[in-house]
Amino acid sequence: MLQKLLLILSAIFLFGQMDIIVAAPTPRVQVQRTVDAVIGILQKKDLDRDQRRNALSNVIRQRFDFRAMSRRTLARNWKKATPAERDQFVELFTELLEATYIGRIEAYSNERVVYDKERIRKKKAIVDTHIVTPSVEIPITYKLQLKGEKWLVYDVVVEEVSLIRNFRSSYGDIVKKEGFSGLLAKMETKIRELKNSREAKQEK
Amino acid sequence: MKKIMAVLFFLFFAVPPADASDSMHARFGDEALEVQMAADDSVDADFEDDFEDEKEAIEVFDPIEPVNRAVFRFNDKFYFYLLKPVAKAYRGVPEPVRVSVANFFSNLFTPTRFVNSLLQLKIRDAGNELTRFLVNTTVGCAGFFDPAGRHARWTKKEEDFGQTLGRYGAGGGVYLVLPFLGPSNVRDGIGLLADGALNPIYYLGISDGAKVGLRAYYSVNAVSLDKDTYESIKKESLDPYLFIRNAYSQRRAGLIKK
Repeated sequence: MLQKLLLILSAIFLFGQMDIIVAAPTPRVQVQRTVDAVIGILQKKDLDRDQRRNALSNVIRQRFDFRAMSRRTLARNWKKATPAERDQFVELFTELLEATYIGRIEAYSNERVVYDKERIRKKKAIVDTHIVTPSVEIPITYKLQLKGEKWLVYDVVVEEVSLIRNFRSSYGDIVKKEGFSGLLAKMETKIRELKNSREAKQEK
Repeated sequence: MKKIMAVLFFLFFAVPPADASDSMHARFGDEALEVQMAADDSVDADFEDDFEDEKEAIEVFDPIEPVNRAVFRFNDKFYFYLLKPVAKAYRGVPEPVRVSVANFFSNLFTPTRFVNSLLQLKIRDAGNELTRFLVNTTVGCAGFFDPAGRHARWTKKEEDFGQTLGRYGAGGGVYLVLPFLGPSNVRDGIGLLADGALNPIYYLGISDGAKVGLRAYYSVNAVSLDKDTYESIKKESLDPYLFIRNAYSQRRAGLIKK
């Protein structure tokens, strides 16, 4: 009788565990995998600049939901935009963020990334991390949304400042003053500037 | 002097809270709830994405934008023509020394953090600052080192009078770009003045020129340790002025909440 009970209990326990094993890895684990992948690429010495850029871009696009970020950045202006305009913005926004941050990532030189807590509420999650440098600690928080099995980033908060809220404010102001096309033009110019300055740096 | 103070007080109490997110009397009903919840349970508040629906973006109240932009340009020139070259030359000094200088100054600013923590009834934080000061001044050799900071329980918590005012409901007021000092607003500007009284440097028997010099040295040292932030912002943002204006408001709101 007791043995049967134990058997049933262990079966329930085991099946319960399977749930955990089969379910998607936690947001923090997924973030860590992406960060590790990025660091791995940076440490490979045998990639040329373009190969490294492409590799980084691929890893990042798998973790960051640029379309969601675009929608949140434009807010009201997203609703007003035509599908074609939206696609154009998403493309430019993605390029702009990559041009901006891949350059910064490449300057990474073995600072330590520490993973703090993660908080999950249904399909949203917040993962706290910080980067340790000799003089300061920089807190970086990722806000993620669950899409299927994958947790995708839709906002990054650095030192209490949310990137998306910041873009939303600045871009909103620019659209007010110069219109949607004015915003797109400025983005294109900035992308070109960033790419040129990188070319210049490489040639040094 | 009294007249100026009167005008300033009028400005920030009369004007609607500029950056609503740092005022307890927030803009929409549910967001007022969010701010209150944040005070008790940051988890829920952090999950409320206030831009989920197309709500109006949080606009900083900036009625003197042309003036602010002019000061911003001035500060930019000051940075590139004066502050940066000096910091660059100073970077010849080994980094650990410069980190120690930063620690020393930070230790000196303990009274500001301590008093403002008390004013906000953050007793534990106040006690923390006291502990930090004692440990860092003794073990940390007059504050040049920060052994206390290595313990998670005793990490430094930035507090100033601007945050105290914000905690008690003062909206930021008009956005200001201060010459040399950078982004601020009426509330935080007043905070800076008030905190001046808590700064030990003020009470040393040295000339005014020397005091300004010390403050300048503090800035040069800080810039030498972090040369990237301002220049990255300039390089990457479509409009650095807007980026800094918004980042400043967000950061202050975040600090006030903490």
